Amino acid sequence: MKRQNGTDPAKSSVQRKHKSPKRFFAEIGMLLKEYTDQGYLRLSKLQKFFYKILAFFSKIPAAIVGFFKNIGRYIKNGAVSLVNEFKDIGRTFAQGDWKTKTSFFVMGFGNIARGQVLRGLLFLLFEIVFIVYMITAGGYWLSMLPSLGKQGPTQAYNEILDTYTTTYNDNSFKILLYGVLTIFFIVAFIYTWRLNVKQNKLAEQFLKSGKKLSSDKDDLRSMVDENFYKTLLALPLTGILVFTVMPIVFMILVAFTNYDGAHNGFSNNLFTWVGLDNFNTLLSWQSAGGGQSYSATFGEILAWTLIWAFLATFTNYFLGMFVAMMINKKGIRLKKMWRTILVMTVAIPQFISLLYVSKMFARNGLINLTLKDTLHWISQPLPFWEDPTWARVSVILINVWIGIPYLMLITTGILMNIPADLYESARIDGANAWQQYTKITLPYMLFITGPYLLTSFTGNMNNFNVIYLLTGGAPTNSAASGAAGSVGYTDLLITWLFKITTGAESQYYLASVVGIMVFVVVALISLVVYNVLPSIKNEEDFQ
Amino acid sequence: MSKMKKQHHMGLRALNRVSNSAIYTLLVIISIIWLIPFVFILLQSFRVENTYQVGYVIPHQWGFDNYIKLWNSDFKRWYLNTFIIALAAAVFQTIIVLCMSYTLSRFRFRMRNSLMRFMLILGMFPGMLTMIILYRVLADLGLTQANAVPGLILVSVASSGMGYYVSKGFFDTIPKSLDEAARVDGATRLQVLTKIILPLSKPIVIYTILTAFMGPWGDYVFARYVAFGTSAGYNVAVGMYSWLTNDQIDTMYTTFCAGGVIVALPVTILFLCLQKYYVEGVTGGAVKG
Amino acid sequence: MKKLLAIILALAMMLTLAACGDDANAGGGSDGADDAGADLAGTYDVVIWAPEAAVDLTKSQVADFNSSNEYGITINATVEPVSEADAATNMITDVQAGGDLFFFAQDQLSRMIQAGAVSKLGSAAATYAKENNNAASILAAQSGNDLYAYPLTADNGYFMYYDKSVVPDSDVDSLEAIIADCEAAGKNISYELENAWYSAGFFFGVGCHSDWVTDNDGNFISIDDDFNSDKGLIAAKGIQKVVTSKSYVNSSTADFASGSAVVVTGTWNYATIKDQLGDNFGVTDLPSFEVDGQSYHIGSYSGCKLLGVKPQTDATKGAAIARLAQYLTGKDCQLARFTSFGWGPSNKDALADPAVVADPTLAALNEQGNYAVPQPNIHGSWWDIAKVITTDIKDSDGSDDALKAALAKYEESIQAVFTMSDDVKNAFTVIGSINGDGWTLDLPMTADGDVWTSNEAYTMDAGVEFKCRQGKSWDVAYPADNFVVDTAGTYYIQLNAATGEVSLIPA
Repeated sequence: MKRQNGTDPAKSSVQRKHKSPKRFFAEIGMLLKEYTDQGYLRLSKLQKFFYKILAFFSKIPAAIVGFFKNIGRYIKNGAVSLVNEFKDIGRTFAQGDWKTKTSFFVMGFGNIARGQVLRGLLFLLFEIVFIVYMITAGGYWLSMLPSLGKQGPTQAYNEILDTYTTTYNDNSFKILLYGVLTIFFIVAFIYTWRLNVKQNKLAEQFLKSGKKLSSDKDDLRSMVDENFYKTLLALPLTGILVFTVMPIVFMILVAFTNYDGAHNGFSNNLFTWVGLDNFNTLLSWQSAGGGQSYSATFGEILAWTLIWAFLATFTNYFLGMFVAMMINKKGIRLKKMWRTILVMTVAIPQFISLLYVSKMFARNGLINLTLKDTLHWISQPLPFWEDPTWARVSVILINVWIGIPYLMLITTGILMNIPADLYESARIDGANAWQQYTKITLPYMLFITGPYLLTSFTGNMNNFNVIYLLTGGAPTNSAASGAAGSVGYTDLLITWLFKITTGAESQYYLASVVGIMVFVVVALISLVVYNVLPSIKNEEDFQ
Repeated sequence: MSKMKKQHHMGLRALNRVSNSAIYTLLVIISIIWLIPFVFILLQSFRVENTYQVGYVIPHQWGFDNYIKLWNSDFKRWYLNTFIIALAAAVFQTIIVLCMSYTLSRFRFRMRNSLMRFMLILGMFPGMLTMIILYRVLADLGLTQANAVPGLILVSVASSGMGYYVSKGFFDTIPKSLDEAARVDGATRLQVLTKIILPLSKPIVIYTILTAFMGPWGDYVFARYVAFGTSAGYNVAVGMYSWLTNDQIDTMYTTFCAGGVIVALPVTILFLCLQKYYVEGVTGGAVKG
Repeated sequence: MKKLLAIILALAMMLTLAACGDDANAGGGSDGADDAGADLAGTYDVVIWAPEAAVDLTKSQVADFNSSNEYGITINATVEPVSEADAATNMITDVQAGGDLFFFAQDQLSRMIQAGAVSKLGSAAATYAKENNNAASILAAQSGNDLYAYPLTADNGYFMYYDKSVVPDSDVDSLEAIIADCEAAGKNISYELENAWYSAGFFFGVGCHSDWVTDNDGNFISIDDDFNSDKGLIAAKGIQKVVTSKSYVNSSTADFASGSAVVVTGTWNYATIKDQLGDNFGVTDLPSFEVDGQSYHIGSYSGCKLLGVKPQTDATKGAAIARLAQYLTGKDCQLARFTSFGWGPSNKDALADPAVVADPTLAALNEQGNYAVPQPNIHGSWWDIAKVITTDIKDSDGSDDALKAALAKYEESIQAVFTMSDDVKNAFTVIGSINGDGWTLDLPMTADGDVWTSNEAYTMDAGVEFKCRQGKSWDVAYPADNFVVDTAGTYYIQLNAATGEVSLIPA
């Protein structure tokens, strides 16, 4: 692990004069108006921090304007390059020899004719698969995509057998799914076709200029050498494309349909496109049910989600660091044993430990029964999961129990990497333990773990397991619940989303809208933090 | 002067002793808090007299009844399922993750940065959302319910490429000059990987295997969705979760504890044996993102 | 190029359409069994979802059916343990992958019908079920006029188990006395009032009602509910007595080992509780509570478990499964379940069995039955809406105003269920003095473009008046003045929403 230059944490304690609030912000304001290096350097650390945040936000309007200006440019550029592509294709066709010309229709023909049999066969195979797929299935899915199906299931009564039979017809879900897949496939085909044309052109040029084309053997060798990365990435990226990208695209599309329990697209009613209705439902301030509007509920859950993510991240971070420092302290024995004890919680599957702990703290669980019946310390059970505040504090504390070991492991490694001479010189300057911590350890840690903190923050926002296994969202938030479904005080956006999906109404479309909102929030936070964080690391520095 | 210094040192030593004993006390308390639930689970798994929640920890009557009950239930099947998934995940996920992270750490190609940014953005979508669609895809492939095991393996392996950050961080710390020296000597990229990088990467390989192996033991929500209504396709989490629902907790509570012990034991032992590598993996890779 | 693509696409479409056509034929093609009358002989693979406890018994009952049925049906059954609560959710997730037969609780019925997850009973089967089961269980399996499931039990209700050493028999009829006993002994009262299934009992006890109206497709048309009333306020005060007691625990599990002296729950916990309490075991109907000098017996829901049949694409298999379902819900099978797990039968003959009559829990349930309301189809969201009443009461300052506010909020929420969906908002309905109704019931209409036609033909006398209104409100209603029927007859009512013209079409 290499240390960065110019960020010696010991030096970053110079500015300590207190400035009046007015001056504090006036200086930032001036800098925002007109940026100068000297002005920036004169700011205190806190001011610099505020400056970065404000500067980021002040840039947003301009960035939006710029974005729309750029769109015009992008469109123009795109159009130009598209025209160029077509021109190039046309030229290749017009000037190409017969092998090239045939390749326009029989992909890979040129390759085979020029001796690159392997490449050619692959092209050809792809074309055949594509055509067969489009004829047998793709065309149908594509044609149904605009309507998402025409005929729902029908029922008929068979009098002799005294039974109803159901005939299933169109399936909106499959139409959407395979429609999307077909579009993916068509794009892939166009890209491959273009590649095929390009290769023909290049091959002609190569041969004209007297160079030799790469043989099959060369191709194979390059797959483990200069093109090795393609070989390595092929499988993982295919997996991600099919099992991550495609589902996300699908679910985004669902946000524009009325797909729910009453319109499941197959066994009862088909679903169809509804445009932006669902976003209106979620974002409008009108009451959707007897209680409050979706937007108010969303806001309430979002607020708790952010509070939770913040507290969960930082309690774990500081307490984990504290435990690590205790164990690391010189003179403490049995370091390995202490670590092992803590680390066991990482090893034991969460569904066992969390479910057990959740039952332990229940109203009639072990803790309450012991306190009440065995020890007689309390007369009433403590409302760990019944009272909103108790429940929220409880989940955070139990999350500390889950999180500390992991943080302890991470911080142990980094703590040991802090150069000992930093502490040595600090001691000579007369710094006490607390000063050493705030002036050396903490800045160093924050610097190294900045990105980790961010991922951990967004990870906690989506920390389904802890909430679901501990409380399931309980206790019920009566104001936010209502026709929109049950919402609890400890529900995060992600568990709410789960409840919407599996609840009485199975409102998949709403879940999808909420999911998109979660994405927007996470992306926004990440963007802001990345812009403010001092240690956006240049990855090359580590090599 | 020298005398003063000595006194100073002695004062420090006394202070040290005090703070050390405070630390020991704290560590003992922390250890107790951390171990208590597991000790309780273990104790209650041997309780014979009642099968529901009670107000005491140490069983009045000890016995293996709960383990026998476990043996007679579908638990064996669930355990085997989970073990197969974990094993497959450990092998295939590791391969995928290593391919991905090694490539992104070592190669500089067109689209590399866009690719990484794209995956970062993908990761911001809540995974919960895609559950329904993944279920349908698996259903179409016939990999749900009784065939949930291969289905779960497929999904966990296919999207595992997204989790390349930790091992990429590790590969980034291996000096590139090693590769270049080998390339000059005429080694192909493949040879560089197998002959030079992999031998140096033992900690991260073991770390990846270990995390991949441990994951499936706690997989609940999606596993339940895929295996729904078919006991033969359950994993331990799905099967055991139902024992703590209202209609079964009164008869299955202690059986759950016994199941918990059986599930946790091998994973914990394996983990403690390989702890060293796990720590190296976490500290070496995790923080560099 | 373009042309080529068009040709390929057209070809593709033709081929797929042809392929689809084949598929549809294959679905119904069961080698002409239809012509041969009810010849059901054959082997059928059937997946049955039963609760964990009932798996083994169900297997042996299927074996009995195979050896005894007169049709020559052999069922090759796979019995999976799926709890009644999960069955509905699972079926709705993916109907095709669901079990052919499944045990489920009646409150899920309309959700299941809506999802197309249960098959309607044939008319002969429905008649047979109606003749042989008690009225409450038939009501539970019904939506509109059709039966959608076979009644399996009629014991899904709750009553009170108590610890005789804490609550003397003389106190069990008074809620106040029970609370006092438990508080004095430092024991808990497990009463899951933060669940509408239990809390609604207080409202039924004071004479309130909450009825949902469904049509033949399992859709909810309206709700008739008076929880938000002076009577409802009395019920709220009753709930308040329990939830503000320090003994109150929101639970319905067998909690006697963990500090409870009273548990309100059902037959399913009998064995466990008997084991926990031993000699102190007591069971009886729910107590009465007192408000302003008046005493009210707490009511309850009585409900049923049902056996549902997945919609089948093959008529012969569907008929064979129907025979199996009928057998599994018959007298002998119900009695076997009663003997093994204490499930109370719905079958009239089984109910008359001496063993059933003598059972203490069923006796308590029976006694409570005098105050119980048969659980109708309930909109899925009601549970979430109604359980909030209890939470609101618990969190309130206890004043009458606060209780009233909780009830008012509840009413607003249930009404909103019907304004939520756009389908309902945009749909036209007929309302008027049709069928002797006094302008209270909205009769459904179906749209074809702008033309809306009533789903049914109504027999109307001359002088009957009605209007067609949109979204069950009077903002958009045609014709401007009431439509008056000139000549008596049976008509469909038709509305052109574009012009606002209303006309009668003779049926």
